[in-house]
Amino acid sequence: MPTDQDLLERWKDEPAPLLPLLHAFHERDSYLSDDALRVVSKGLRIPLADLYGTVTFYHHFSRVEGGRGRPRVCDGPICKLKGADTLLAELDGATAMPCAGRCDDPIPVLVEDRYMVGTPGSELAETPAPMPTPNPGEREECCFAHIRAEGRATLAGYRDTGGYRALARAVQEQTPGDVLDVVDASGLAGRGGAGFPTGRKWRAVADAPGEPKTIVCNADEGEPGCFKDRVLMDYDPHAVLEGMALAAYATGATRGFIYLRYEYPHTQAILERAIAEATEAGLLGQGILGTGFSFLIYVRRGAGAYICGEETSLLNSLEGKHPFPRNRPPYPVTHGYEDLPTAVNNVETLASVPQILDRGADWYRSLGEGEHAGTKIISLSGDVLRPGNYEVPIGLPLETLLFEWAGGPPPGRSIQAVTMAGLSGGFVRDLDVTLDEPCLRGRGSFLGAGGIMVFDDSRDMIEVARQAMSFFAHESCGKCFPCRIGTQRLTERLAGEAGPRNADVWRAEVHDIGHTMAAVSACGLGIAAPLITESLLRDFPDAVNAHLENGR
Amino acid sequence: MSAKLTLDGREVLFEEGETIYEIARRSKKDVPTLCYDDRLDPLGACRLCVVELEGARNPVASCTTMATDGMVVRTSTEAIEKHRKTLTELVVSENPRGVEIDPLRGMASQELALLAVRYEADGSRFEGATSGRSRKDDPNPMILRDYDQCISCYRCVRVCAEQEGDYAISVENRGFQTRITTEFAGFLEDSACTFCGQCVQTCPTGALGDLRALQNADVPGEIEKTRSICPYCGVGCSVDILSKDDKLVGVQPAMDGPANEGALCVKGQFAWEWVQHDDRLKTPLVRKDGELVPASWDEAFERAAEGFRGVEAKHGRHAIYAVASGRAPHESAYSVQKFVRAGFGTNYIDNCSRA
Amino acid sequence: MSNPLADMEKPDVIFCIGTNMTETHPVAATRLKKAMRHGAKLIVADPRRIPLAEKADIYLPLRVGSDVALLGAMAHVIEREGLVDPSFLEERTEGFDKLREHLATFTPEWAESITGVPAADIEQAAIWYGKAERGAIYYTLGITEHICGVDNVQSLCNLVLMTGNIGREGTGINPMRGQNNIQGAGDAGALPNNYPGFQPVTDPAIQKKFAKAWGREVDLEKGITKVRALEECGESIHAMLICGENTLVSDPNRAHCQHALESLEHLVVIDMFVTETAALADVVFPAAAWGEVDGVFTNTERRPQRVRAAVKPQGEAKPDWWIVSGIAKRLGFSGFDWESPKEVFNELCELSETYHGLDWDLVSEGRHHWPVPEKGHPGTPILHIGEFPRGRGLFMTPSYRDPAETIDDEYPTWLTTGRRLAHYHTRTMTGRSVGSEYLVPEELVEVHPDDVVRLGLEDGGLAVMSSRRGEVVVKVEATEQSPRGTVFCSFSFSDVPINALTGSGYDPITDTAELKVCPVRLEAATTQLA
Repeated sequence: MPTDQDLLERWKDEPAPLLPLLHAFHERDSYLSDDALRVVSKGLRIPLADLYGTVTFYHHFSRVEGGRGRPRVCDGPICKLKGADTLLAELDGATAMPCAGRCDDPIPVLVEDRYMVGTPGSELAETPAPMPTPNPGEREECCFAHIRAEGRATLAGYRDTGGYRALARAVQEQTPGDVLDVVDASGLAGRGGAGFPTGRKWRAVADAPGEPKTIVCNADEGEPGCFKDRVLMDYDPHAVLEGMALAAYATGATRGFIYLRYEYPHTQAILERAIAEATEAGLLGQGILGTGFSFLIYVRRGAGAYICGEETSLLNSLEGKHPFPRNRPPYPVTHGYEDLPTAVNNVETLASVPQILDRGADWYRSLGEGEHAGTKIISLSGDVLRPGNYEVPIGLPLETLLFEWAGGPPPGRSIQAVTMAGLSGGFVRDLDVTLDEPCLRGRGSFLGAGGIMVFDDSRDMIEVARQAMSFFAHESCGKCFPCRIGTQRLTERLAGEAGPRNADVWRAEVHDIGHTMAAVSACGLGIAAPLITESLLRDFPDAVNAHLENGR
Repeated sequence: MSAKLTLDGREVLFEEGETIYEIARRSKKDVPTLCYDDRLDPLGACRLCVVELEGARNPVASCTTMATDGMVVRTSTEAIEKHRKTLTELVVSENPRGVEIDPLRGMASQELALLAVRYEADGSRFEGATSGRSRKDDPNPMILRDYDQCISCYRCVRVCAEQEGDYAISVENRGFQTRITTEFAGFLEDSACTFCGQCVQTCPTGALGDLRALQNADVPGEIEKTRSICPYCGVGCSVDILSKDDKLVGVQPAMDGPANEGALCVKGQFAWEWVQHDDRLKTPLVRKDGELVPASWDEAFERAAEGFRGVEAKHGRHAIYAVASGRAPHESAYSVQKFVRAGFGTNYIDNCSRA
Repeated sequence: MSNPLADMEKPDVIFCIGTNMTETHPVAATRLKKAMRHGAKLIVADPRRIPLAEKADIYLPLRVGSDVALLGAMAHVIEREGLVDPSFLEERTEGFDKLREHLATFTPEWAESITGVPAADIEQAAIWYGKAERGAIYYTLGITEHICGVDNVQSLCNLVLMTGNIGREGTGINPMRGQNNIQGAGDAGALPNNYPGFQPVTDPAIQKKFAKAWGREVDLEKGITKVRALEECGESIHAMLICGENTLVSDPNRAHCQHALESLEHLVVIDMFVTETAALADVVFPAAAWGEVDGVFTNTERRPQRVRAAVKPQGEAKPDWWIVSGIAKRLGFSGFDWESPKEVFNELCELSETYHGLDWDLVSEGRHHWPVPEKGHPGTPILHIGEFPRGRGLFMTPSYRDPAETIDDEYPTWLTTGRRLAHYHTRTMTGRSVGSEYLVPEELVEVHPDDVVRLGLEDGGLAVMSSRRGEVVVKVEATEQSPRGTVFCSFSFSDVPINALTGSGYDPITDTAELKVCPVRLEAATTQLA
C-alpha cells in the first residue's frame, strides 16, 4: 500500500494535482480521513479549512470510513421512472446520486470504480454503454460518422478511418490561422450548451497575452438526461484528443486537461490508454509529428458536482480551489486556468473538429437543415421506444426525432411534455418545434447540451418538476443568494413542504422567485432553474391547481 | 480620469479599474449590498447591487462589473428595485424571527436589519427552512457563532483569508446546506483562528458577535464611539472605543485607520477589560511601617519629593534615575525626561526599550 | 522603520529575520500576507518554526545567536553571484572593498557549520534577495536582543546597501517596534544620550538651546542606560522614578533586579496597577489608563497619532504628566505648570527637530511620518531617499562571535524567549482580560517532542529549568515549533519568571540584554523533588 509520502510525491509536482491526489487517498483508504487532508493540506500548501470545505463540496468524496465502497444509485429523472427508489432500498448502504449519464440503460450503480447497471430485483451487471444506432433518418453525420467502425477506439482503428489526418495536415502544412479560418467558417458553436462560436473563442485565446495557454475539454457531463459525451469518449476517444490537439495548434496552447465527471471511471481508463497510444505515436507530447509543436494532455477526474460543468467552476476545481463560479468578465479566454488564456470546449465540440478540418467548413455547414449549420447530438431518454444518442441536423423538427427516429411513446400513451437542455431548458409541451436555438429560445426554452427527456401522459408533472428543482437545489453551489435560497424555496413549494396556502399567493411567490433568479443569478444554473417552474405555470396550469388543491 | 459613463442620466468620469459599484457609491447612489466589504475582492454573491446596463440582457452585479467607457447604467429602476425587494425578502426568509441584533455584536451587525426596513421585508414571504446552524457548543469567550443568523455572504471567510491571511474558516457543503466552518467543523480555538475578530466586525447580520462587548448589552445608555489608538504593539492601529456613559463597553477597529485599515488582533479587539478592572489602583499609596497604604495626593507628592530631595542632598544629583514608559503617551515620557533634565540637570533617564 | 507599513504590501521579496511577526505585530503581518497573496516570495530566518516560517518559501532555521554568520554568508553569495547594485554602491556608499575582503571567508558552507542552515538554502535566499526588484527586510528583537545586536543590524544594513534596497517604495530595513509608544518615548527624549528629537546631549549648541528653554543647564555627558543604572543601585544610584514599567518581571536576571530595587533609598512608581515592581516602592501613584487619557502615540512607522479619553479615570487616577509635574512642583522645579496634554505635546514639538512641523491639532488624524521639520511639511514616509543622514552609507565589517554563554554539559539546551499572541508583556493588561486568559492561561516551555523524550520530560508535565542565575518550574509542551536542542518561553507570567534565568550578557554598545540566548538545563520536576 502506498504511503502518504508516496502519494504526495506522485502528484505534488503534476499540473492540477489536488483532485488526483485526493482520489489517490480516497482509493487507498476508502474515504478521506482527517489525517489524509492534513497531509494534502501541508503537501500542496492549501489551508486546511479551505481544503476541508472544498472536499465537502463534492458529493462523491466520502468522509466516513468505508464510504467509497458504498453503492451510489442514480436517482435522476429517468431512473426514478425505472424504480431507482426501490433499487436504492434493495442495496445495502446505498445512497442516491444525481443523474449518472446512462439514461438509455437500466439504472446505473457505482461501486468504487465499477460502473454497473441494473433494475430492482435483478443482478447488477457491468455492461458497456449502448452504441448509437445507425442514423434512423439516414442523415449524414459528423461526430458519429465513424464511431461504429470496428476498433475506432484504438489508434490503429482511428487512423484506418481517417483519424489524425487533419492534425497531420494542420501541423505540417497549415498555419494556426488557417485552422482558425476553417473553424470560423464552419459555424461550429459550443455543443455544451452555451453555443458560443468556437472559432471566435479560439481566436481570442490565440490573441490573448500570457503563456502557457491551455485547452480544457469539459467532460463533466452532469446535466440530467445527457449522455452523449460519454459515448464519444468511450467509442471515439482519439477524435476528442485530435480535436484538442487541433485546438492547441490553433491557439498556441501547450497543455490540455480533460475534466471528466466522476461517474465515468471506465472512460478515464479509455482516455488514458488513448493518450498513451497517441503520445507513443508522436501525435501528442513533445515535438508532435516531428514539428516544433508540443501539446500534453492530462485527465482530471471530478468528484461529484454539477456546477463543475460550468466552465469557471471547472477551472477553480482544476486549480484546487473552492468550485464556485468566477465572476465574468474576465473570461477564460484571457484569464482561465491559472489566470492564463484558456479555451474550455465541450467534448462534442472538440470531437467535431477533426471531421470539419478534414472535410471542410462547407461540408459541415451543409449538414444542418436549411440555413442551420452542422449537427447536434441529442441524448433522448424517457418515455420513447428507442432512447439513445442521435446526431441530428440542426433544425430537425422535434416530432421527426421523437416519432420517426425514436418510435414515439410506448403503445397507448401520448407524450405529455419533453424537457430541453436536460433539465435546464424546462418543459416543452408544444412539440411543434425544430431543434435549433432560435426556434427553442423563441418558446422560452433552449437546446443547450441536447438532452431531451420524454414524459408521457401518465406522469405527474408536478412531481417531475419537484425532482428537477430538487436537483438544482442539491447542485446549487451556494455562492449567490437568488440561486441558493431560490432553488430551496421553489423545491419546498413544489413539494408542498412550505409556502402559502392561497393559490394566487403561491403563484405570485413562485413567479417572483423565478423572475429574480432568472434575471440576477450569477451563473447559468440559477438563471436556467426557474424555467422549470415558469414552464410549469405556463403549460400545466391545471396540474398546478390540482397540486394546490390536493397537496396543500 | 478620461473615461466616462452615464449613471442615472448623468455623466460621471472614472478611473480605469473602477467598478460600477465604486463609481455609484462615490456618486452618492444608495446601491444596497450585503456581501460587499471595501477591503475584500468583490464576490458578487448577494446580487443586491445589480444595476441595469444598457445592452446587457440581464441586470449586472455592479460590484463585480468593471466600468468601461460609454456605459449607460441605471441604478434604481422599478425592475431593479423589485429584484432587490425579492432578494431581501428571500434573505429575510432565512432569518425570519426578527431577532433584535444588539449593535455591540459588531460594526456591520445592523446591515441586514436596515435593509429589511428599507425593503419592508418582514419575513412574511418565502417562508421555509432556515440554513444556518448556531454553534452554541463553541466555548470560546470572544466570538459568538450564532449562525442561525447567517446568510452565507462569506464576508467572514473572505476577511479571514484576504485581509487577515489566516484562512481559518471556510465554506462547508453547498447550496442551501452551506455552513461556515473551520477545518473539520470544530471549535475556533482548535483551528487556525487567531481571534482577531475581523469576521465579527464584517458580519452584516450579527451572526458573529463580540462576546466581550455583549457582556455589556444590558448596561443602560447610548453607545458612544471615541477614536483612539490601540494600546498594545507598535503598529498603532486605529480603534473606536465604545462606551456607555463612563463604562467602557467594547472596541471596534477603525476602517480609516492609516496603520491598520480596519484590521485588529486578539489583544486590540478583545483585551480591554483591564481598563475598568477592580484591581486598578485608585489612590496614591505611600509606605508606612513597611506597608503600602492609601494616602492623599498631598501626602504622596510630599513623600515623593522629600525622598528625591534627601537623596540629592546626601548623594548628589547623579544618584537619581528615572525610567519612562514606552506604553504611556509622549506627554508622560516628555515630562519624565524633563523632570530629570530640567530638575536635576542630568541625563539619567531611559525608557524600557532595552528589555 | 525606514518605510511605512503600507509598503509591506509592495515588496516582491520579503526577508523576515528574528521577528515572530504574526504574534508580536499581527496587523503588520497581515500586510505581508497580502503581499504574498499577490505573489511576493517570503524568506524567514528564525530558530523556531514560528507561524511565519510555515508560510515561508524558504525557511532558514538558524541556531540562536548565529545571525552574523548567516547574514555574512548571504552577503558573500550576493557578491559572488554579481548581484550587487553597482550604481547604488558607487553613488551612495563607501567601504565596500573592505567588506568584500572581509566576506571572503563567509562561505555558505562555513555558515552552515555555524548556523546549522543548509548552505544551499542560504544561497537560494541570498539570490532571491539579491535579485529582488523590491526587497524588504523586517526584524524585531530576535536581531537586537543579543550581545551582538549591533553587529546583527550592521549585517542587515550591509545587505541593504549592497543591493540598493533602501530609499524606495516597498524596500528598506524595518525594525518593528514592540510597544505602542516605545518609538514615542525615544522621540520625547527619554534616552540617556538624546534630548527630544534625537538631539545629542553632548552637543553644546543643543545644550544651550535646552538651557534657554528650561532655564537650567543639563550635563554635557550622556547619562547611563537603565541596565547600568540597575547595576548601580545601592552603589551610585539611590533613588528612582519608574513610570509604567514592571521592571522586575520584564527585565533580565530577576534576582539582580529585585536586589537592585530593594537597595534604593527611594523608589517612586507611577502605574495603573500595583505591579510586582510597584510593590517595592515607597510611593505609588495611580496612573490614568489608556481610554482615560488624551495624548499622542508614535507607531513603528514614525507616525504620531492621537489617543483620546473615552471614559473617566478610575478612582483618583491621573495622567502621568500631571503626576510628574506634581512631584516636580513640590521640588520647586519650574516649567511644570502645564494644564493640558496639549501644552506638553506642543512644548515637545517646539523643541524637537523631528516634530517641529507638528502640533497637537496636526497629529489628530495621524497623517504625518516624522521627520516633519517645519509647518506645512508633508512628512517623510520613506527615509534615506537620495542620501543617508551621514551622507554615504558606510559598510561595516562585523565578525561572528559566540553568545555570552554557550551550551555545555551542565546547561546543554538553548533557551530563547519571546512573546505570545494572546498576551502582552507582563500581563498587567491581558492578564485581566477574559479572552487572552482563556487562550493562554499559563506559561509553557515549548520543547521539541524528541527532546521531551531525550530529556525524560513529559508533555504536560512539570520541568525544572535552570540557568547559571536561577531556576523556574514550568509546564512542558511538546511541539515541533521548537527545534531540537532549543526551547522557548515567554516572560509574561510572573509565576514562571523566565527572567530569573536570563541576563547572561549585554550588547556592549546599546546595553541591550541577550534575552534571546540563555543556556539552560531541563529536568522533570518529579526527578528533582525525589
